[in-house]
Amino acid sequence: MADHVLRLTGVGVDYRTPGGTVTAVSDVGLDVPSTGITVLAGPSGSGKSTLLRVLGLVERPTLGAVELHGRGTTRLSDRARRALRRTDIALVFQNPGDNLIGHLSVGDNLRAAAQSAGRPERVDGLLDDLGLPGTASWKVTALSGGQQQRLAFGCALARGAAVVLADEPTSQLDTASADLVLETLVDLSRQGVPVVVASHDPRLIALADQLFTLRDGALT
Amino acid sequence: MQTPWRAAPRAALSSPLTLLVSVVTALLLSFVVAAAVLHSSASGSAAVAYQQDRLCEQLLHPGLDADRGVPADRVDEVVAAARETAGSLPVLAATYTTEVRTDFGGRPTFAKFGYREGAVDHVTVLEGGSRDGMWVPRSVADTTDLRLGERGMGGRLPPVTAIYADLNDPIDQWWCGERKQVVPNKITRKDVTSSVVWMPSQEAFDALPPELTGGGVALSLRFPVPAPRTATQAEVLLASGTALLDRIDDRTDGIIPRLRHNVVLPLPVENARATAANVRAAVLPLTLISLLIGLAGVGTVTAGWVQRRRTELRMLWCRGSGPWALGGRAVLELGAPLVLGGAAGLGTARLLLGVYAPSTDLEPDALPTAVLAVVAVVLASLAVTLVVTAFHAHRMFQAPTGRGLARRVLAAVPWELATAALAFAAWQRLRAGGLSTPLKIGGLPGIDAAALAFPLLVVLTTALLAARVLRVLLRASHRASLWHRPAAQIAIRRLAASAGPVTGVLLVGVLAIGTIAVGTSVANAQRTALDEKSGLYTGANSVVQIGTDLVTGERELPAELRGSTTVVGVSSQYDRTAVVVDPATFTDGAYLGTADPDELRALLTEPLRIGPPARRDVQLPGLPPLNPRTTLPSFPKVGADGYVVPRDRVTAADAVGSWYLWSTRSAADLTGPLRAAGIDYTGVQERSKAIAGLPFLTIGWAFGFVTAIGGVLAIVAAIALLLAIEVRRRQNAVAGALSTRMGMSPATLLSSHLVELGAVAAFAVVVGSAASALSSGVAVPRLDPAPRLTPSPTLPNVLPLLVTTAVGSALVVLAAAWIALRAARAARIGELIRG
Repeated sequence: MADHVLRLTGVGVDYRTPGGTVTAVSDVGLDVPSTGITVLAGPSGSGKSTLLRVLGLVERPTLGAVELHGRGTTRLSDRARRALRRTDIALVFQNPGDNLIGHLSVGDNLRAAAQSAGRPERVDGLLDDLGLPGTASWKVTALSGGQQQRLAFGCALARGAAVVLADEPTSQLDTASADLVLETLVDLSRQGVPVVVASHDPRLIALADQLFTLRDGALT
Repeated sequence: MQTPWRAAPRAALSSPLTLLVSVVTALLLSFVVAAAVLHSSASGSAAVAYQQDRLCEQLLHPGLDADRGVPADRVDEVVAAARETAGSLPVLAATYTTEVRTDFGGRPTFAKFGYREGAVDHVTVLEGGSRDGMWVPRSVADTTDLRLGERGMGGRLPPVTAIYADLNDPIDQWWCGERKQVVPNKITRKDVTSSVVWMPSQEAFDALPPELTGGGVALSLRFPVPAPRTATQAEVLLASGTALLDRIDDRTDGIIPRLRHNVVLPLPVENARATAANVRAAVLPLTLISLLIGLAGVGTVTAGWVQRRRTELRMLWCRGSGPWALGGRAVLELGAPLVLGGAAGLGTARLLLGVYAPSTDLEPDALPTAVLAVVAVVLASLAVTLVVTAFHAHRMFQAPTGRGLARRVLAAVPWELATAALAFAAWQRLRAGGLSTPLKIGGLPGIDAAALAFPLLVVLTTALLAARVLRVLLRASHRASLWHRPAAQIAIRRLAASAGPVTGVLLVGVLAIGTIAVGTSVANAQRTALDEKSGLYTGANSVVQIGTDLVTGERELPAELRGSTTVVGVSSQYDRTAVVVDPATFTDGAYLGTADPDELRALLTEPLRIGPPARRDVQLPGLPPLNPRTTLPSFPKVGADGYVVPRDRVTAADAVGSWYLWSTRSAADLTGPLRAAGIDYTGVQERSKAIAGLPFLTIGWAFGFVTAIGGVLAIVAAIALLLAIEVRRRQNAVAGALSTRMGMSPATLLSSHLVELGAVAAFAVVVGSAASALSSGVAVPRLDPAPRLTPSPTLPNVLPLLVTTAVGSALVVLAAAWIALRAARAARIGELIRG
């Protein structure tokens, strides 16, 4: 078995705009190890989020190859990529509200996440692990921003994903809430779930087992 | 099913506005489709009712007749056989002798003897009334000096126990099936009075002296049943009635010669079916256009939903859900409101049937068909929801490149050229005769639905063109610099910022105003044309033929008829007709239409030529040679070709073909005084029944529905406008609050909203009205179901409608402007903080 869960080789992403082609990511090659926290760091506009989307099979690169568990994904059909996303990849977005279904309860959000990957539903135990005991019937909006983001990672756990990708998970949170998220990331890592985080939060960068720094779309 | 999908129906409650808009959109969509189905069916029923009103009710069920020659001694046998065969169906038999010179003791006269069960209950008794003797009509009693208690034919007839008033037109429906036997024509047959002497029983009739019945008697068998209300009921009645007659024929074959079948329903049934088909075909194009608009509305609602649920959809997509699964998510959330709206639309269409349709009677299959149509429409709405969501999901998440290409392509397609081509094709059909000549007497002209679509296609083309012009103007609006008029400048910028919704509102608005105006114009033109043609055809509200004694002054006109009647003679030879009028009273009784009575009276003192001047003198019976110099385009009775001669030019009244009494009264009000005064008349005609109005009504009903759909589209346009404002509420509030804080007065802010919305509404009113006036103006004269009768349909006065439309639009604009201003005032502080 490969010692990396994801591998990028010579990946480039271009966008066509009315002003011409913009290169967001250029010739990036990296391996995401099967364990630990991998951080993609860099200033705003450096291509972190784009790279995270490519890693999450949400976006096809213009150039290069993406491997998941050693299997090439670039030429896969949309349907096959969806199947991989369903079972192997969990994405956590920047805004806590974007990771949850607002009209469902906390417990139903976890259930929905588990169902999406065909996993058994384990709500109460998971909430205990997340430090959110007794909130299963709560509305999502009753949780704080940090709790919502923890719940989002809980959803990733519920899905049993092979890798969790998080895009600036602390940027929208106050310090206390951000601390909750950092704890969760460490917990996930301890449970053996590889985590890839795009962030320029120094506290999060300090947690990195492996750090990649991007500038103007290229690794430095 | 996974939780997000299972919980989707409940999620709909999280956005009451989307819920409401979805319900209303589906309601209007389903209403239009269901109403189209129900309206077509109701038109068929209305056609049945209209024709029944002009038919004899007792003849609706096929009857049997033998005008003469039935052996008197076999009548009982035949009637018994008929009753047995008919089972529980009532059978009303009547027997009549021929008119025989009869000796009642006084001056010999012709008389006809008859028996019909219940006859004595349906006549007006003048003297006596005992039911055990003969009932003699007054005409016979007067002629022969017959008195109560006397017996005719040397005592061989039963005693006279009642004298009744002769039956005369207009007769009661109970008699209409026997009209030929019981109503004498005293004008053309002065020597014979064929009013019936009623015998007290069938036995008494059978016992009449052989010289009265020896030559055989006439027999009629009627089967009075409730009138059918729909074409299907009429068809069933016709089929069962014909089968019954055949069975009776089989039973009576050995007794008497085959009886004549008196069947009046086939043509009305055929006409009713044709009417329903014509109306269905005529409303189809606009229904389809409305359907497309409605489905586009569903698509717009869905697109809004996709934007609102974007984050959830993105998350589900990232978790591996495909575009179709996300489409299913939309269907599950918006499906219930769409289904609910569909059901409400169907219910509304059924409940309001009496408001928009010409009848509330429906064919048995109408409601199931409407339900099926609504189910199809709701399914189509769900399919649109599915596809729009899947398409947006695909474009947003899966293939973001090339976004907006389809929209740009759709916008670039010159749809107005396509509809203009269709309008041109429809115009060619209309010019070639959108209404064909009826193939049989009393039949309906074939109505070319494609030709009828012409005015609507013109309105649609204009609406599309207006939308494109507006789009171009808004695209170029950044060049406009009207900052010295801040309200106008802000209004323009706001319009340009929401070009899509504004163009949509304009499109639907123009279509709504145009269809309302077209529908109203054509329907009113048909109604007026029917009224005027009927008036010119009969000459007056009611007309009866009279004898010359009233013309020559031998008899006086009853005083109560003076001031509302005039005596008119008609002299015809070959294809030329002249009417002889009394200039002093003509305008009292004749149908004048829009003519000025004083001017007409002045003209009538000299002979008039109706139509183009004649090249030589014309000679007509009873009239001097005619070659009048003064001409008129049309005149009552003669239409567009004939002559009018003042009464004083007539030398011999007897030589003029026939004389009539024209009246502004109803037939009943005209004939009542005549009967009371003992004045003979015949040939009662009423303007309302003079010409077969079904073709006019068919077109009127079709375009009446067009008006109804126009009303629905107007509601759609108004809701879309109000919704566009409500959707932009926060944007308006922030912009308004900022503008007023920067020094703009609230009055200017209000003005900007009024200019913005008023410009769209005014554009829609002007363009819609112009398009409808243009298209209706050329189409109305060509939609003439009776081109041989003058006058042709003309465009009615549409000014009241335009004023109503303008006022309605102004109210909507005021409401929308108020909503926008209220948002700016109420949400100012909170919105600014959030903004």
